[in-house]
Amino acid sequence: MLLQQLVNGLTLGAVYTLIALSFSLVMGILGILNIAIAELFMIGGFLGFAAIAAGLPLPAAVAVGMAGAAAIAFLIEKIAYQPLRDAPLITPLLSTLGVSIILQNVATNVWGSDPLQLPAEWFDRRFQLGPVSIGAMQLVVIGVTVALVALLAYLVQRTSVGRALRAVAENRDIARLLGVSASRITLLAFMLSGALAGAAGVMISLHYAAITPYVGVETGLKAIAVMVVGGVTRIFGALIAGPLIGIVEVLTVAYGGSQVRDLVVYGLMILILLLRPQGILGGARTDLGQRV
Amino acid sequence: MMGMRAHFAGTLLAAAAMAAGASAVQAQSREVVIGAIVPSSGPFAEWGRTNTVTLKMLEKQVNDAGGVNGAKLRIAIYDDAARPAQAANSLRKLVGDDKALAVAGPLTSSACEVTFPVANQLKIVATSQASSKPGVAKANRPWAFRNTVDEGILAKVSVPYFKKNFNVESVALIYDAKDAVSTAISTRIMPAVMTANGVKVLNEKDPLSFNTGDLDVSAQVTKLKSLNPDGVVIGADYSQAVTVIREMKRQGLVKPVIGGTPLISSAILKAAPEIPLIAPATFYATMKGARAERFVAELQPLLRKESGLPPEIEPSMYDANIYEIVSMYIDAVKTAGVSGKPEDLEADRTKLRDHVAKLKGFEGLGGPIGFNADGDAIKAFYIVQGQNGAWETKVRGCSSANGGGC
Repeated sequence: MLLQQLVNGLTLGAVYTLIALSFSLVMGILGILNIAIAELFMIGGFLGFAAIAAGLPLPAAVAVGMAGAAAIAFLIEKIAYQPLRDAPLITPLLSTLGVSIILQNVATNVWGSDPLQLPAEWFDRRFQLGPVSIGAMQLVVIGVTVALVALLAYLVQRTSVGRALRAVAENRDIARLLGVSASRITLLAFMLSGALAGAAGVMISLHYAAITPYVGVETGLKAIAVMVVGGVTRIFGALIAGPLIGIVEVLTVAYGGSQVRDLVVYGLMILILLLRPQGILGGARTDLGQRV
Repeated sequence: MMGMRAHFAGTLLAAAAMAAGASAVQAQSREVVIGAIVPSSGPFAEWGRTNTVTLKMLEKQVNDAGGVNGAKLRIAIYDDAARPAQAANSLRKLVGDDKALAVAGPLTSSACEVTFPVANQLKIVATSQASSKPGVAKANRPWAFRNTVDEGILAKVSVPYFKKNFNVESVALIYDAKDAVSTAISTRIMPAVMTANGVKVLNEKDPLSFNTGDLDVSAQVTKLKSLNPDGVVIGADYSQAVTVIREMKRQGLVKPVIGGTPLISSAILKAAPEIPLIAPATFYATMKGARAERFVAELQPLLRKESGLPPEIEPSMYDANIYEIVSMYIDAVKTAGVSGKPEDLEADRTKLRDHVAKLKGFEGLGGPIGFNADGDAIKAFYIVQGQNGAWETKVRGCSSANGGGC
């Protein structure tokens, strides 16, 4: 049973990783927490679901989820962040919280509050590896997460856009003096984070073959814990912290009960904040990017 | 002289006509206000929204038929989002601002546990359309009622059927730890009734749980599977149970499932059609009977026309329950000497309470309804089996102590 639980934890952790990366991307560059990312994850899930229901193949569904969530992230940046960027830090945080509530209400009105379910044929094939049973969709979730993280790593480390992102995160004014358009980079960070959250939403909705408008809040909060444990501005800290939190959560439920699940997960987050506030990969205090 | 007499008679007739007209206008302008508290947003929004459509249909039916004693019926509906504090605030608003005669709702046991004491304090009848956690109305007499049957009574009929029909010797428990009735079903009612029926509860001391809104229950189901039970008890409303049932199917745990009334919905039947579901119900959309069939025929097109509801939506048990509750109130206003005058509001609320408390044989959608001393409904119920996409009645029961009154 332990091995099976580790597989369950890894799958859950992969989804947490993608959403935590979404949070990290905006946090690292702007120093603000875009709360609406949790609901972009949910919207991405519904869009992917709709695409599959319309007969599109899986890669197209992932693309639809990512594009839809990125488009909404574009609007969030224009409406709920840009006009408020000179306000105190709490203001954009509150405005994105408002957006998240609106998105949840919109989803409830459009898709209803009952779980949307995919038909039975969407239950994937399972492979039996000794005592462990793993589904094809679980492999897809882990595979897509690894691929997207690698793509993001390449984008941030090896491309001119990535250099601009890092420059703005380091020092907005100097980046502008060097010819980087801070506004465009900010918008790009919002859209990239939206696309990642959308991809995570598609993955989770197809993995469970069901989705509700309320899936974003809990998962989003866990992803914030993942971000903190991994290192707030260290984008790739999430790669370690995601599976860690996923496995800790699953093992806690299996051997301790769901009543103590949140206690353990958020307790771990507080412990990290107390003992190693910069997170596993460090960075929270030393290289927190200025707001753009 | 003749001219004067004719003129006088004409004036008298005109005055009489004016008086009659004024009286008619007065009757039309009078309102009988019934309050309703439903969760139109939040996790049970589907139930709240269909409740709302049901109440609007009833309001129109009553007003089209001439109102209540000539007065217009107005059903003031508030959304509590299934939040206990919001439900209690809604009740205060209905009592203070809307001057409601009585209230239908709230829906969840968690909301009732907070709202019923307020109903007692404000002296207004509140009847829940869905709460079935044992003792919730009993703890809040004399103003709290529930048009539902205690889950403990229902389990005594559903468990023997479950055991016999599926040869169940052992069960494992899983429940939504954040929901009051789900917790009661899985941690108190089912373990006791299963044990009394000779069914071994494999994880009685350590039942598996999850939280409302969880989409991932893989860890719980893996553990459930490792217990190798003959059947599974799910304490959850249908929207949460869908997640568990789908995960059971995904992990290859195809075992019969038993639960309480919150499992009843058409949505759950799609989750894993090959997993048999056993649950009690006082009403379901495909139920036979003239009243039930007419209710479904009238309500279903309205539900499907409403935006925000799935196209395949059907009237739920809680729509039937709230329809019956408000119909009972209207019956009380008509027959219990309720004046409807603002100065008599307090006395009218008391008359209405006394009428409901003594009610017997009120014609509900699934048969006659009355209330026991605990404030819970005495009505017929059905143990239904959901399999391959449809509910089917297997056993009929009656919730009264001696089996009569249904």
